[in-house]
Amino acid sequence: MSPKNYTLHHFNQIERATLTRLHNLGLYDGEVVTLIQRYPFHGPVIIENDHQRIALRYKVFATLAGE
Amino acid sequence: MEIALIGNPNTGKTTLFNSLTTNYATVGNWTGVTVEKKMGQLKNAAAKLIDLPGVYSLTPLTKDEEVVTRYLLENRPDLILNVTNAGQLKRNLLLTLEVREFGQPMILNLNMIDDLKRQGVAFDFATLSARLGCPVMATNARNQDGIKALNAALVKQPAEQEPLVLDYPPMVKEAIRQASQALVKDYDYQEADARWLAIQYMNKNKVVRRYAAFKDLKPLLSMLAYYDAQHFDDKIFNTRLDFIEDTLAAAREKLSDQQPREFSNQVDKVITNPILGLPIFCLIFLLIFKLSFDWVGTPISDLLDSFISGPFSTAVNHWLTAAGALPVLRSLVVNGLIAGVGGVLVFVPQIFTLFACISILEDSGYMARAALVTDRLMQLIGLNGKSFIPLIIGFGCNVTGIMAARTIEQPKERLVTTLISPFMSCSARLPIYGLVVAAFFPKHQALIVLSIYLLGIVVALAVAKGYQLFFHTSDSSVFIVELPEYHLPRLDVIWHSTWDKSKGFVHKAGTVIFAGTVLIWLMSSFGLSGYTTDPANSFAALLGKALLPLLAPLGITHWEIISALFTGVLAKEVITSSMMVMFHSANQAALIGALGSFMTPVAAYALLAFILLYSPCFATLGTIKQETGSTKWMLWSLMLSLLIGYGVSMLIYVGGTLLLG
Repeated sequence: MSPKNYTLHHFNQIERATLTRLHNLGLYDGEVVTLIQRYPFHGPVIIENDHQRIALRYKVFATLAGE
Repeated sequence: MEIALIGNPNTGKTTLFNSLTTNYATVGNWTGVTVEKKMGQLKNAAAKLIDLPGVYSLTPLTKDEEVVTRYLLENRPDLILNVTNAGQLKRNLLLTLEVREFGQPMILNLNMIDDLKRQGVAFDFATLSARLGCPVMATNARNQDGIKALNAALVKQPAEQEPLVLDYPPMVKEAIRQASQALVKDYDYQEADARWLAIQYMNKNKVVRRYAAFKDLKPLLSMLAYYDAQHFDDKIFNTRLDFIEDTLAAAREKLSDQQPREFSNQVDKVITNPILGLPIFCLIFLLIFKLSFDWVGTPISDLLDSFISGPFSTAVNHWLTAAGALPVLRSLVVNGLIAGVGGVLVFVPQIFTLFACISILEDSGYMARAALVTDRLMQLIGLNGKSFIPLIIGFGCNVTGIMAARTIEQPKERLVTTLISPFMSCSARLPIYGLVVAAFFPKHQALIVLSIYLLGIVVALAVAKGYQLFFHTSDSSVFIVELPEYHLPRLDVIWHSTWDKSKGFVHKAGTVIFAGTVLIWLMSSFGLSGYTTDPANSFAALLGKALLPLLAPLGITHWEIISALFTGVLAKEVITSSMMVMFHSANQAALIGALGSFMTPVAAYALLAFILLYSPCFATLGTIKQETGSTKWMLWSLMLSLLIGYGVSMLIYVGGTLLLG
């Protein structure tokens, strides 16, 4: 798949512990990330932001990216 | 002087610790390698260095993250070395600000400085230092760059530093002022401590909130609802983020065009491929087992066994005879200690190979990818990929596996991971597997051992599914994993890490296994009529024979095996030494011959399954109690293991006998 950029929003819809971890890793409202990899059957996704790659659940990514 | 190392995970903190100290700690490229704080002596100085677990902030989500906050609440280090990944400075500085607010002298270390250069960026250290109020130093710990200068800076007596004061919104500032004034006045706190406590309390730091409740700090407790209703934590976070962005903008200098992390990206195209990722994961583990049991570990073990049971045992026997030792003493030393303890020690090469492979995976950065490729699978049983890492570490030792479960954010997932960890086949079970497969499956040793490991995984996953239905864990999982850059493993790091993991096994050979061997020798050499040369009249025989009807449905027809299984609860390694003593075998070959004469391959495989599942060892049971804080869960784990071990083993024996005859 070719990488595609997404702007992250809707952090208020994310459960508290997950939100804290997203903040810990530098993912904030308005941050632009690149989607690097999707896994089948709505498995985790890999995103890249600020020279780091992060894996997260598809459900969380879909909420933040408005998919 | 006490220096604390504090930093985010994957900043090379433990590698730095190893470079700065004369003794070492285990290094890994996976969050949670330092599950408790570790201590070392600083080179060329009397100072001690404390390596704390990697944390993203002082507001903990996991149990291992709580260690750092608790350390700061209970200790006052003379100096804090804040290790950051220079290439990820923006998010690393969130923790830096919390530590600077704490007020103790601090050195900011920009480690992995080469990663920053590769991004085509540099920072003006004078600007960073002025804004943060502390010295800034660069290193690249993997290549030893900058280590000498950092060591020299740490040796010096640190100068006093004023705590960092951020420009929080007026309502937060006023609340901090009121709370800290009251804490200073009514509770005798220092101004800086009171201020830090108040900020952490407002920021929903659960360790600080527990501390405040315990100390009954009324100025904070009485305002809890107000702080939360006004979302003080969000305001604090936004202020910190603004400060970091301003600081980095002021300090940033562009060097050249950036170079992407080409090596890691290329490797990841294959390793984390959606289709290939899981098969590659399985292949890697097959390779590890082939190395440990077929190609490297077993041949060396065989050499060691022929030396211990041959020239060494004979020489000691001759020496004792020449010295006029009593036959009972000679029997204890030759048939008991050398056969028993030696019989376990010969498996050190296999265990060493297995641990070396796990250390390479940890140091290379693969463990995070293993969590990623197994996440979808783990989701089906209400866990996430992060739970897979403690389970893999459990292959080495269930105790360290359970400790590594501390990195899991969700308490129920942590509990389930802890409870299923004992089903993972630890290295202590290897000696007995080695004996049984050599006796019954000489041509397929690695495959049979691998199948037992897989059986452990399948049982663990099935039990986890049961817990998922009971606990309803599926919706609240936190799975966010940083994928660090790959590193070519460093030989000294792998050596230290492998030795750290293996030394427990060698140490146990001199303590628990030694004691267990003496105990089992006493039980098999003494009976109701005193010392006996016929083990069939011994106490061990009485115990084994009494339980024989119960275990006959599993294909266990000899009391010697039952007595040996009993001692396995003490430590799994003891099963092998007990069997050596029970069967009066001088070496592996003799025991293999004895076992082969009265068991079928199906019964042998059922025995392997029973040994895998029947009970966690004492140390694991103790760790379950410690980590769950409950004797009930410990007893539950023991009962469930016994039931599952009995059931699975009987199924294999009965089913296998019906099918194969």
